[in-house]
Amino acid sequence: MTLELFMVFVASTIRLSAPLLLAASGEYVSERAGIVNMSLEGMMLMGAFGGAVATAFTGSPYLGLAGALVAVLPIALLQSVLTNTLRANQVVTGLGINILVLGLTTLGYREIFGSRSREMIAGFDPISPPILGDLPLVGTVFYQAGLLYFAILMVALIAFVVSRTGLGIMLKAAGDNPHVTAISGTPVMAIRHGAVFFTGAMAALGGAFLSIVDIHTFTEGMTRGAGYLAIVAVIFGNWRIGRVMGACLLFGAATALQFQLPAMGIQLPNALLIMLPYVLALLAVAGLVGRQTAPRALSVPFWR
Amino acid sequence: MSISAYMFSDKRLAGFNGVLARLAVPLAAVLAAFTIGLIAIIAMGVPLGDAVGAFMRGALGSPYAISASLNRAVALGLVGIGFIIAQRAGLTNVGGEGQIAVGGMIATALCLVPGMDELPAGLAFILPLLGGAVAGGLWAGIAGVLKVRAGTNEVISTLLLSFIATWLVYWSVQSENLLRQPMTNSATLPESLPIPAPTQVPLLTGSYASPVTWGLPITIVIAIFVAIMLGRSIFGFRLKATGLNPVAAARAGMPVNKLLVGALVFAGLLGGLAGALMLQGEQYSLKSGFSSGYGFDGLVVGLLARGSVTGVIAGALLFGFMRSGGISMEMAAGVPSALVGIMQGLIVVMIAGAAYYLDRSATR
Repeated sequence: MTLELFMVFVASTIRLSAPLLLAASGEYVSERAGIVNMSLEGMMLMGAFGGAVATAFTGSPYLGLAGALVAVLPIALLQSVLTNTLRANQVVTGLGINILVLGLTTLGYREIFGSRSREMIAGFDPISPPILGDLPLVGTVFYQAGLLYFAILMVALIAFVVSRTGLGIMLKAAGDNPHVTAISGTPVMAIRHGAVFFTGAMAALGGAFLSIVDIHTFTEGMTRGAGYLAIVAVIFGNWRIGRVMGACLLFGAATALQFQLPAMGIQLPNALLIMLPYVLALLAVAGLVGRQTAPRALSVPFWR
Repeated sequence: MSISAYMFSDKRLAGFNGVLARLAVPLAAVLAAFTIGLIAIIAMGVPLGDAVGAFMRGALGSPYAISASLNRAVALGLVGIGFIIAQRAGLTNVGGEGQIAVGGMIATALCLVPGMDELPAGLAFILPLLGGAVAGGLWAGIAGVLKVRAGTNEVISTLLLSFIATWLVYWSVQSENLLRQPMTNSATLPESLPIPAPTQVPLLTGSYASPVTWGLPITIVIAIFVAIMLGRSIFGFRLKATGLNPVAAARAGMPVNKLLVGALVFAGLLGGLAGALMLQGEQYSLKSGFSSGYGFDGLVVGLLARGSVTGVIAGALLFGFMRSGGISMEMAAGVPSALVGIMQGLIVVMIAGAAYYLDRSATR
């Protein structure tokens, strides 16, 4: 592989992992608070849809991002009320919401756009950051969408808040032992509600990345399991934000290789690369890749 | 105790009020979902009569329509019955999709084994059916072994196994070394060869005008067997004890680990059989994504049933007819079948959300 080709590979790895990174860092926050958002897939799809619709009507991708954030609100509210207030099974509600959102967005897109469903919408152009972008050889790697840099900033922010602030301590406590945490006077319910809404917002941006940044249109069910893959990244990352980010990059690299390998004349079954993240995650949860330490009250409803 | 055992344990729903509640919530959810569906149709400006007419014609309008709906219900019912068996042991099997995929793939491979179509006495189609079922059982068994050996949450492992299985099918029909039909020209589709006629599951009526397969009576027998097994057998009792309190069950001398693995294997057997039936009774050649949605719909059917086999049958019929009706509604009346998805999603969300209040009122 030439150096130039390798830089293309690195750049596309980063680009392909960006939507995963946005959604997974959101999911990380929820899971640290003790909630599994199986609806991450639906939240991403809703974000992709809301983003595409808002961009198409206003012509502005920035308003598109706002549209994604607004569209995901009812979904996050539904998930939050079901799992926190009504203490419903988190997996079942998540899967139900995913079926619901797939139907809603498919129907909505056909009703709104109808025949002009192939139409391109406005999007973000990649930006070349000062200094970094001017570097020889590696400069092309930094030629990415602004939303990607936002994602990296958010990961840093989440890492700081979770490990260095009182809010982070409360968040982790709510996910490890909500009852004791509540007795100590921490508003566990509010934290858990807030975590789900934060996850919704991040997932919506991840979905919008797919529709507004990547392909400049919406297609039915376009997330194609990216939300599940983001959940898998959190599991594979062993509920630590740095490793979650690493997992997203690894999964992005596996996807990038699907396009890269044929270009290099290497014939490897495509399916093997697509399957790789799931197989790795299965090995991880089977305890074959280090010890898994999930938040102790993960997926356990909280009540007084 | 696991959440699902807490949510679904029968004790919490005992007595007259419990029976009423068991029926009332699913019925109310289904009615509400249908009402919302009708409102959506009106809002889309499609004449209600056209849409409902197309829906009914697609679901019940002809022997062919009824047969197609019943075949769908068979697949959903098998996955749903598997779901409640695992649920009885306190496990949530969300891997129906993968179990169907593996079952269908192995059944296809067996059907295409040279000489399989020459076997006498129906063995030509029975052996692949059994092979598909066993494959599904082993696939789910992986999750069971991980559960008892490494404490892996079965929700996560069965979900991951589903994705892996789906891509295995994709791989098997992409590669000529596996199941892809020989490439004669560039237009050769990435799918397997059609399976030989003797390996196809026979039709009950013998006519393609009403293609209900022998899968229907097989499923009815399995449903009766499982209902008796869960309600009247020692195995069923032990499953329930394990689901309600695995520690107490172990103290009482029950082989809890074997029961947990056994419950998942049993669920997988039925999922694999569903996949084999879909392949050998309806599709006749393996394509990527052939299991699409059936696993998750089957899961929803199992969930709706709240632990009862009768409930699974009712739910499977409902969803089988809904899917057929939805497709017809899209083609004849221009109402996207996505609407049916919305209704199904609403039903799941409403029933899951009601579980806590239902349980609370039943225990008072």
